[in-house]
Amino acid sequence: MKQGLPSDTQIARLEQTLGATRTATDPTSLAAFEIDGMRPGAAVRPANADEVAEIVRLAAAERLAVIPCSGRSKLAIGGVPARYDVALDLSAMNRVVSYDPGDLTLSVEPGVRLEDLQRELGQHGQFLPLEVAFSERATVGGAIATNAYSPLRAHFGSARDFVLGMEFVTGLGEIAKSGGRVVKNVTGYDLHKLLIGSLGTLAVITGVHFRTFPRPAERRVFTAEFGAAGAALEFCRAVAASALEPSAIEMFDPGAADISGIGTESGGGARAWRVVIAAAGSAAVVERHARGLERMAGEAQAARFEAWAGADAAKLLRAIREFVRIAREHSAEATILRIALLPASAAALAERVAAISDAHNLDAALAIGAAGSAGTGYVALWPRMVKRAEASSAPTAGATTDDEMASLTAAIREVFECASSDAGPARGFVEWCPTALKRRISLWGEAREDFVLMQRVKRIFDPHGVLAPGRYCGGL
Amino acid sequence: MNPKLIRELQNLLGRDAVLSAREDLLLYEYDGSVESARPDCVVFPSSTRDVSEIMRLAKRFETPLVGRGAGTGLSGGALPRAGGIVAVFARMTRILEIDAESRRAVVQPGVVNLDITRAVEHLGLYFAPDPSSQKSCTIGGNVSENAGGPHTLAYGVTTNHVTGLEIVLPGDGRVVRIGGKAAEPLGYDLAGLMVGSEGTLAMVTEITVRLSRTPEAVKALLAVYDAVDDATESVVEITRRGITPAACEMLDGWTLRTVEDFVHAGFPRDCAAVLLLEVEGLSEAVAEQAAEISEVCRARGAREVRVARDAHERDLLWKGRKNAFGAIGRLSPSYYVLDGVIPRTRLPETLRRIEEIGRDSGFRIGNIFHAGDGNLHPLILFDPRHPGEFDRVVAAARAIIEHCIAMGGALTGEHGVGMEKNELMPLMFTPEDLALMGRVRAAFNPDGLLNPQKILPLGKGCGELRVLPQSAGSALPA
Repeated sequence: MKQGLPSDTQIARLEQTLGATRTATDPTSLAAFEIDGMRPGAAVRPANADEVAEIVRLAAAERLAVIPCSGRSKLAIGGVPARYDVALDLSAMNRVVSYDPGDLTLSVEPGVRLEDLQRELGQHGQFLPLEVAFSERATVGGAIATNAYSPLRAHFGSARDFVLGMEFVTGLGEIAKSGGRVVKNVTGYDLHKLLIGSLGTLAVITGVHFRTFPRPAERRVFTAEFGAAGAALEFCRAVAASALEPSAIEMFDPGAADISGIGTESGGGARAWRVVIAAAGSAAVVERHARGLERMAGEAQAARFEAWAGADAAKLLRAIREFVRIAREHSAEATILRIALLPASAAALAERVAAISDAHNLDAALAIGAAGSAGTGYVALWPRMVKRAEASSAPTAGATTDDEMASLTAAIREVFECASSDAGPARGFVEWCPTALKRRISLWGEAREDFVLMQRVKRIFDPHGVLAPGRYCGGL
Repeated sequence: MNPKLIRELQNLLGRDAVLSAREDLLLYEYDGSVESARPDCVVFPSSTRDVSEIMRLAKRFETPLVGRGAGTGLSGGALPRAGGIVAVFARMTRILEIDAESRRAVVQPGVVNLDITRAVEHLGLYFAPDPSSQKSCTIGGNVSENAGGPHTLAYGVTTNHVTGLEIVLPGDGRVVRIGGKAAEPLGYDLAGLMVGSEGTLAMVTEITVRLSRTPEAVKALLAVYDAVDDATESVVEITRRGITPAACEMLDGWTLRTVEDFVHAGFPRDCAAVLLLEVEGLSEAVAEQAAEISEVCRARGAREVRVARDAHERDLLWKGRKNAFGAIGRLSPSYYVLDGVIPRTRLPETLRRIEEIGRDSGFRIGNIFHAGDGNLHPLILFDPRHPGEFDRVVAAARAIIEHCIAMGGALTGEHGVGMEKNELMPLMFTPEDLALMGRVRAAFNPDGLLNPQKILPLGKGCGELRVLPQSAGSALPA
């Protein structure tokens, strides 16, 4: 166990700032904050932005590496920390600061759990189109800092489209903000956009302003089953080109459908490709989707088309939202690539994933969000169970052998290459993988030409490199 | 200006791409705002390489450089406040690629906003941001200012429709591509930072825009009111109910009469205010939303709710809205279009406050604005020939903007800060916020030569070039 080492004096100063009760240094408490086998020397629990600023100023002065967190469901995302001295636990900053249902705007602290927030918004007939994996633990701060995937982005866009502004603390301990609380605003630089998906490497988010959305009267889920990737994708393209406005459209390959349990309810084909579509709105709008989708599924020669409501619909929505978690629960070593896809690259990927994984003795699952238009692909790869069982000296659970790592490394490269064959360079990264693999590969691939600008931005926000060092592209 | 620099620019671009005679430069000292500032030289790059070389020359000769599209901006963003070179993108007007399947177009900065839609409408696609000036404003300017428009209520502003950029950095003229066609950024969202940076961080030479699908059904409604309060209360109620029209515009009675006299769109001349609303989408949703909106407006006191019967009627209503500024220009020697944002729940009291400010200051203030997203455009009529009048306009404008901020709003919703509101930035931001923004700017624009004296207050050490404004008109705000 590698452990961050704030000195006794430094710990005393942290305790001075927050009091001993909000500064944990005992191994049991600290174990919960481990990242990639690294344990911090202290975990602190600030209650407000001023306290966050004070801690970060101390960290900057003493060159202590700080990693912000709250729900801790997605700390495995990102590179192995270069250093990790202090866990900055924001879970006590969990207030809804203001909510103006009449204006459909909301300001929250980063530690608010998304489920709690959705419940509160629901009481006013509203919601936030941020339905992310690890839903019962995920917090606003983590969802924003990881730019967590939400299937609803097909319709509502991603965080950058509905975050109105942020308050944050830079790596120098400055309290700053950008944007605002109103739905339309071009005042000043949109610095907060830089923080979305930055894994805490630029600033500690202390407040987020959102626009909220009216909750639709009805939601229904549809599934269509196809014998081949091409037909499934063709169907998705037809839906995307139609007048329909589904709130989510996800395509699952047989592997993804298998681990997610999609298709089991209707006993569909084991090797089938499945498309899951959510439609929301008034009864008439949902009905229109039902008719239109059924017709298009027929034209695309779907083997099966079904509509789901109630608990079945909720189960399907959960399956598409929780894909990365399901993959990681299926195999602790699941390596999960997140790729920004265009329709052309989605087709290339769908055709090649099975062959790539076969060639390297891996199992694979592919899920494509916003399928049929510019969307997000998730490819999960993990060592074949069969091969493991046959191996004479079975490796201990959780450990990845050198052979497996070599296979994964090769497969990752091939996946990125195939995605790039038709629609320009693949844009993606390895979102989740075993720590051992992180040490061998570059999660973000080769540095691109804009890396020099990313470095400049990092130097402005965190010149001493104390915020989550080493976790982001190119070791930022 | 250094004649050697002009010669170098001529060698680089050709003589016909460099203007330096006084009478030529006069054309470029204005934009759509009340400001003016004369360039020392105007150049017309034809390629990214030209822009890169111009950037290097600006650095070598330590000369300010400002980009300009069609010059329709409303906050002085394209005006060379410190003199120097203005680079006009009128020769970079090509649509480089249309990728209908991915719903993207790659365009040069000089392409006119509406021309993107014209190039893709046969594919059932369009470019959503629709500033009133969309027939003439360019996408490069839209990107710089993060332009909005009536339909951004439902679809978002420019930043929500740009996924990739090619930029040229100040100083060494390095060309960098950020983002691309993909829907999400890989790495820090630099395109998100760049859009709306008002040309102060880099020059944009290529833009990848998101195209939207033409809606199946559209319905335009005109709700007519005898009291302004009833109109604003209707907007509050529509918002509260979670109805999201594609557009929700308000015109007060005086503005409406002025517009009607000019456009003859059939607007009623005897009302206190109208709401121009549009709903778009699936025909089922459009029918339901139109019915619900009509019901809300009537319940809140609309004396009449008209529904445009066909595309012609609808176009006529929008013609009135989009030509409003021109109509007002016929009545007054000059006018100052303000741009502020408030939470939508505060609309009724804010309009009352604006009326009060108009009364107290003795100016006619018209209101024609994006009510649905709380984006106000009070329009103050004045005569710049009367000594001291402009200063009083500025004072009235400041009172309105201060009210917006007090309501929890913002300084600008779509026009940008530019040289109009840079001194007002402390109303919204702390010295620490502004210092960080200054450092970010310096990281991209270290010599401060690119579009100096914009966005951030002057007189604070931000590595900015300090040159006195060249024209009296740029003294706003005092």
